[in-house]
Amino acid sequence: MKCEQIGELLPDYLQGSLNAEQEKLVEEHIEVCADCGEEVAIWKKLSLLPVEQPSEGSRERFEAMLRAYQTGRSDRVSARFEKAKAAPGWNIWQWLRTPAGVVAWSAAILVIGIFAGNYFGNRPGRSNADQSEITAMHSELTNMRQLVVLSMLQQQSASERLQGVSYSRREDQLDPQVLSALVHTLRYDGSVDVRLAALDALSRHAAQPQVRKGVVDALQEQQSPLVQVALIDQLLEWRDPDAAVRLRNFAQTPNLNPTVKQRADWALSKLN
Amino acid sequence: MKEQERADTENDQAMMLAPDEELMLEVRDGTGETLGVLFDRYHRPLYNFYSKLTGDRTLSEDLVQEVFLRILKYRQSYQPGTPFRAWIYQIARNARVDHYRKTPKHITFEPEMAPAVMPKDEAQKSQEAELLHRALMQMPEEKREILILSRFQELKYDEIARLLGCELGTVKTRIHRAIQELRQNFRHLESGRINKDRNSGVTKFVPPRRAGNEV
Repeated sequence: MKCEQIGELLPDYLQGSLNAEQEKLVEEHIEVCADCGEEVAIWKKLSLLPVEQPSEGSRERFEAMLRAYQTGRSDRVSARFEKAKAAPGWNIWQWLRTPAGVVAWSAAILVIGIFAGNYFGNRPGRSNADQSEITAMHSELTNMRQLVVLSMLQQQSASERLQGVSYSRREDQLDPQVLSALVHTLRYDGSVDVRLAALDALSRHAAQPQVRKGVVDALQEQQSPLVQVALIDQLLEWRDPDAAVRLRNFAQTPNLNPTVKQRADWALSKLN
Repeated sequence: MKEQERADTENDQAMMLAPDEELMLEVRDGTGETLGVLFDRYHRPLYNFYSKLTGDRTLSEDLVQEVFLRILKYRQSYQPGTPFRAWIYQIARNARVDHYRKTPKHITFEPEMAPAVMPKDEAQKSQEAELLHRALMQMPEEKREILILSRFQELKYDEIARLLGCELGTVKTRIHRAIQELRQNFRHLESGRINKDRNSGVTKFVPPRRAGNEV
């Protein structure tokens, strides 16, 4: 039989779907024909190629996607996926609508206003009044920034909340309202990254009693070892009078992560 | 109909497990929770499909995620009676095509995609596997795809025909041509390697051996 005819039977032979008679024909042929024999051989040899394992994070990534979808955020996920893939230039109008964009253009308008005011109202004898006006405007700008922080901390996406937290660092003084929002974020935010960033931002406002209290309270509620360790370190750094008692209680918590317990004990030994 | 019979026997063999189609209907009508079971069943085969096809691991993982995202997005379009396997591979192919439309490919073969290192006694096999992998990656992508679908994803020819939208006979012809090309590439690489070994005077683990003699 010719190779050509065998070639027609070969694909079915390889999947084992020929009848006995045809199968015998093929087998007899490949015994004597090296070329056709090699074709069968290479097919079989493909089993040498290893089965590859996807990375470990694959299942988690899927779970995260599923959860995001279930909470009705599928569009965000796919948008981010697509963005990561295609990396298009960002749209200026879209950016202007984000909280960061809002503060940017508001600030721009305010600055234009200040300069215009200075320029047109630049009469002798008025400089003190001007100065106070500028101060007023400046504080207005600060308030606006803080408002933006507040609104960003409410965002659904963790990266936006993270941005909100880092925005708060631009201000030396924060409103009690913003501070309590940061404390709330530290205690209840769903993302470990955001909680850690919030702690970092709060660490600069240790002078405020509500901040210290918030951080001390947060220790008892944290589930993430990473945040727990960061909190312990922070308390140690502040040497808060309450810290020792709280840490001792905390170290007694059943089922505490061994590393965290070790850290807490270590901090206690430093505090005493 | 054969398809249905085969699916049925498979289900009988795995009585304890719900068939894909049933799970998919639950995904369609429910919250999508059961998609996890389908993910467990399909993410590894899909990952292998993509990684053998593209030679890019990161891309393959991204594409697998994209497939499951698309299943969620388009779950309402899943019709009862549609073989799930065919459906998911359709989505998988589309996801890849869309990806290349957005980011034209430039990679044909990356050395780091060579098969993982194996124990020493497997050295010969691993060398052959590497040559085979290279031979496969040298092929045009359509040919490689059809080989992967039939050999590794274990799709039947009629399933492939439906997937590619062509006749059963065409699939068989294409498979045969793809095998021929793979064999030629492999032979070429192998002779190249043997010559190199001879020239460098190294007696390697592998005695020159014709592939055909092994069967």
